Amino acid sequence: MPAPAPSFRDPAGGCCLFNQRVLRFVNAGAIPEFEAFLQTNCARQFIAGKKFVSTRRLNEDETAALRAAPELQPVFNAQPIGAVFEHERIPFPGYPHEWPPEMLWAAGRLTLELARAALADGFGLKDATPHNILFRGSEPVFIDALSFERRHPGDPIWKPHAQFVRTFLLPLMAHRRWNLPPADIFLTHRDGLEPEEMYRWCGPLERFKPRTLSLVSIPTWLSRRADPDDQGIYRPHLLANPEKARFILESLFKRLERTLDSLRPAAQNQSAWSDYMATHSYDDPAFAAKEAFVDEALREFQPARVLDAGANTGHFSALAAQAGAAVVAVDLDAACAGAIWRRAREQKLNLLPLVVNLARPSPALGWRNGECPSFLDRATGAFDGVLMLALIHHLLVTERIPLEEILRLAYDVTNSLLVIELVEPKDEMFRRLTRGREHLHAALDVKMFEQACAPYFEIVRSLALQGTQRRMYCLKRKGDGH
Amino acid sequence: MIFAYIDPGLGALIWQSAVAGVVGFLFYLKKSRRWIVNVFRKMFGRGPISPGAGVEISPPTVKAKIDAK
Repeated sequence: MPAPAPSFRDPAGGCCLFNQRVLRFVNAGAIPEFEAFLQTNCARQFIAGKKFVSTRRLNEDETAALRAAPELQPVFNAQPIGAVFEHERIPFPGYPHEWPPEMLWAAGRLTLELARAALADGFGLKDATPHNILFRGSEPVFIDALSFERRHPGDPIWKPHAQFVRTFLLPLMAHRRWNLPPADIFLTHRDGLEPEEMYRWCGPLERFKPRTLSLVSIPTWLSRRADPDDQGIYRPHLLANPEKARFILESLFKRLERTLDSLRPAAQNQSAWSDYMATHSYDDPAFAAKEAFVDEALREFQPARVLDAGANTGHFSALAAQAGAAVVAVDLDAACAGAIWRRAREQKLNLLPLVVNLARPSPALGWRNGECPSFLDRATGAFDGVLMLALIHHLLVTERIPLEEILRLAYDVTNSLLVIELVEPKDEMFRRLTRGREHLHAALDVKMFEQACAPYFEIVRSLALQGTQRRMYCLKRKGDGH
Repeated sequence: MIFAYIDPGLGALIWQSAVAGVVGFLFYLKKSRRWIVNVFRKMFGRGPISPGAGVEISPPTVKAKIDAK
């Protein structure tokens, strides 16, 4: 069976993953507009700039071959498909419930850029959700190519305005006001936060602050007073003067851009982990030895795709990216993931940061758990190298994950290389975490660790970091682990 | 063919419509200002300002950039 369509809400067509290809099925009635949009200067410019997913229409033979595929019968039978298009595949999809606030901001910026550019070509963006966007490294790419339709020249209203507010502005506002990570919001709220919900969270004075007044309070008061059965509210109110309608929309996009920029996450966002690189327990020679060890492993194995698990602020992710790998860096701390994103953008690194807790990885989400696959579904077998640096003591002690389980996870995720740092129970950080439970980990030492690795990995080399209770391992995945 | 399918909200839609009304009024103010400026420019022998100068209808569009190339 093909993966369920991630964009089945759009009556103009759907999308699915089939044999590693991203296919878009477009209904007959929507094809002219879709193709006309792809020919616009806006689409061509954004595709050339790699900000819009590249798309090609399949020819009749290719479409006929797909029609014959039994796995695609449900898709073809569900709606009258007029044509099939194929999109480029984004290497590792990360979803809004895994983004740090910085990435949500960047996705919002791209959404507004596209909406404004499409307006100049006579098209309108018909939905404005972060789910329209994936990231290629640290750069957002608009993937829902069917989200554009020809707009009526006299229409001064942008229907997705409320959705843009719900899914971009209010989550960023909640982050700025209450330090609530947008990733947490999107885990439970596909369509973001309703103004009414935010209104309840705000205190009486907060409700009258200019930004809150405009985005939260006034919409809430108006919706309370409006007649919910009055369908006239939703009818288009077309203006006779198209120039005026466009002026109004231009002003709206400019206002939204200003509001979005005012909610841009601060670069100095702090958390318990974001200053780890300045406060860690290694002295300079030990840290340099660790860095050299990782660098040597990366140069020897030359992994094309690397997962840095527990990446913190991305020091070693950047090292892997500089060695030529496409890196996915995961950390449970949104401030750390945000710092990685800023670093990746500044240094133009092929580095995708995601807010993921390996002990509680993102579940599959959406209708029948089919719209966003779980993190482990996406990660299994997807990497040639995995870095687990200064991580296992957190999993062993804080999360109480058995050592063998940690190694099995690494075995499932990597196809080749694992660089792992053994932190022994005598280590200062390890002891801080155990808090009187040292007896639970008394048996963990080099010998036990190497025995645990043996079913899954060959030890290529190891290095004790002088002056610490830590040892680096470069491991090669065995062909068939337990 | 219209395929809009997202929830346009209720209060947010009314608020957007109200703001659109105010901005629409600004459109005429800016247009009037441009007309007045043009009258004075003609009086002093200068050419009229370009249609887009007083009312910023479009941003530097993608199309314009491509045309420039």
